[in-house]
Amino acid sequence: MAQTTVNSVKVAVEGMTCGSCVQNIEQHIGELPGVFHIQVSLELKQAAVVFDSSMQSPESLAEAIEDMGFESSLPD
Amino acid sequence: PQKHEFYVDMTCEGCSGAVTRVLNKLDVKFDIDLPNKKVFIESDKDADELLETLKKTGKTVNYIGPK
Repeated sequence: MAQTTVNSVKVAVEGMTCGSCVQNIEQHIGELPGVFHIQVSLELKQAAVVFDSSMQSPESLAEAIEDMGFESSLPD
Repeated sequence: PQKHEFYVDMTCEGCSGAVTRVLNKLDVKFDIDLPNKKVFIESDKDADELLETLKKTGKTVNYIGPK
């Protein structure tokens, strides 16, 4: 069984204005392989993602959010 | 260039903003009718490619037809 290393990242997300954007991202990114959990906050403008770092990375998650048409940035 | 009409289930400013950003990456001419959930795109690309791009926003998208 591959050793799964669980990681979590808080991605800043710009451009969300309502609950349906939040739901949209949670559903869409939540379906990505290796994503265990995602919590999007409209107020904090961020997406907290728990993922399998052998399948996803902060960069790939940020890119997936950008693909959806939102601006994302990683914590430095 | 061909003009295409799509139905995109946008419910708010944020949604139309997302569609705008996604289409900006494609550099096609487009305009968005949020109240009627319509997106009009003028481009040489074929409808399938435009459809795929719009679907990346995670919203329900239907190709209505050429305008």
